[in-house]
Amino acid sequence: MFALLKRSRNRISAAPFAAILLLAACSSVPDAEKTDARDPYEGSNRKAFAFNMGLDTHILEPAANGYRNVMPPAGRRAIDNHIDWTGLPATTFNSTLQGRFENAGLSTVHFIVNSLTLGLVDLTEDPKAVKSQDFGQTLASFDVPEGNYLMVPVLGPNTSRSLTGRVVDSVTNPMSFLKAGDAVQTMQTLRPPVAAVSMRANLFEAFNDVKYNSLDPYARTRSLYYQGRAGRINATVGKPTDNRTADDQFESFLEDPK
Amino acid sequence: MTRKRQIGILISDLRGWLRSGFVCLCLLPLFLTALPARASDQIAAANNVITSMISQVETYLETDSGNIEKRTEDITKLLDTHFDLPAIARFSAGPYWRAANEQERIDYVQTMRDVVIGTVVRNFDQLSGLRFTKIDSQAKGDKMVLVRGLFNDSTGKRPPVSVGWRVITPAMAPAKVLDVEIENISMLVTQKQENITIIRQNEGRFSALIEAMRKRQQAP
Repeated sequence: MFALLKRSRNRISAAPFAAILLLAACSSVPDAEKTDARDPYEGSNRKAFAFNMGLDTHILEPAANGYRNVMPPAGRRAIDNHIDWTGLPATTFNSTLQGRFENAGLSTVHFIVNSLTLGLVDLTEDPKAVKSQDFGQTLASFDVPEGNYLMVPVLGPNTSRSLTGRVVDSVTNPMSFLKAGDAVQTMQTLRPPVAAVSMRANLFEAFNDVKYNSLDPYARTRSLYYQGRAGRINATVGKPTDNRTADDQFESFLEDPK
Repeated sequence: MTRKRQIGILISDLRGWLRSGFVCLCLLPLFLTALPARASDQIAAANNVITSMISQVETYLETDSGNIEKRTEDITKLLDTHFDLPAIARFSAGPYWRAANEQERIDYVQTMRDVVIGTVVRNFDQLSGLRFTKIDSQAKGDKMVLVRGLFNDSTGKRPPVSVGWRVITPAMAPAKVLDVEIENISMLVTQKQENITIIRQNEGRFSALIEAMRKRQQAP
């Protein structure tokens, strides 16, 4: 059983690399057919999106629905806490690279304190004090352009920059080097699918509204991703993004609303 | 011109400058106090709209029996009172608004209005149990205020959600909501980008967007 899980874990770790190889085969769309300048591979991206939606319909949505119905709120909170906790080493690493030493220190302290409960119970006074950081944000802080929009099979929406960040984070996270016995290995293996189910359950209605009620779920997902990512980078890295912010768009509109 | 006359003109000019400078100096405090006064009026107007809207939503939620016709009637009244639906429609069409003809504009505003009302009616249940707490209000230029706050779920089942209301505050008209931001994601910008994609996929035909919206509405 554990051997099987270990093998599947290796497959999960290899998923981002396989996705990048797949993306190398992406074909770009002619300018006239582009619906968004940031999305030159729209044709391939839409195919990957259709694949992801199929996966959602057959696996993730029913699993998230069951999880919502079966798991009590306290259990869901514990799982969310644990998932946040496992991301803290990456936050420490990236905050240090960005020179945000206070955040790096805070995330280290939070990680150590909450390790007493494996992150299942948050023992800190203010869990929101730590600003989550990933390598994509570190690249943004170094003014690396965000690149093209990429819909990655299984992983979902990304830009070239954020996808690179995900790969680096998965390689550099010290949690992935832990060799602490089969129980911990099993937890590590189960974490990505559990995190996916938990996230889907937390966003159940919102996600379904995009999936079933949008005119074009692909375009809506792209817009939501860009805005969410821009907000996160702006809030944590404090740099304007490559995209026009909502404020800019409303300002232009109010100057000439006719 | 004699030297004496030149000095006279110079003194007269100086008096004029001093007089106008004095007037400016007198008016300066008025300008300085008027600017923040306008900003605080803007913020107060925006806060009032949000408070009134939240209170109305709470009343509707308390009396909501699940009857869709009654709910649609209530939501329509709520949106007409507190939201600038024509401006929402114009914004959501992006640059294609200018390219649309008069009939397309009328059809689009009506369809968009139906879509917005339908979306709120469909998701109205999700507001049940949520309590809004205002965090702050910030003027964005002289025509808009962003009122930010948190929705907390009184049952504890859902995590708190940050929400921002973009309220337009024209000097000579009532303040109204233009956009709702959830977790820093603008719902109207999202709608606009989706609409633009639909139009571009249909070789720039504005009518294709209206057709797609109507088709979506009629779908079960």
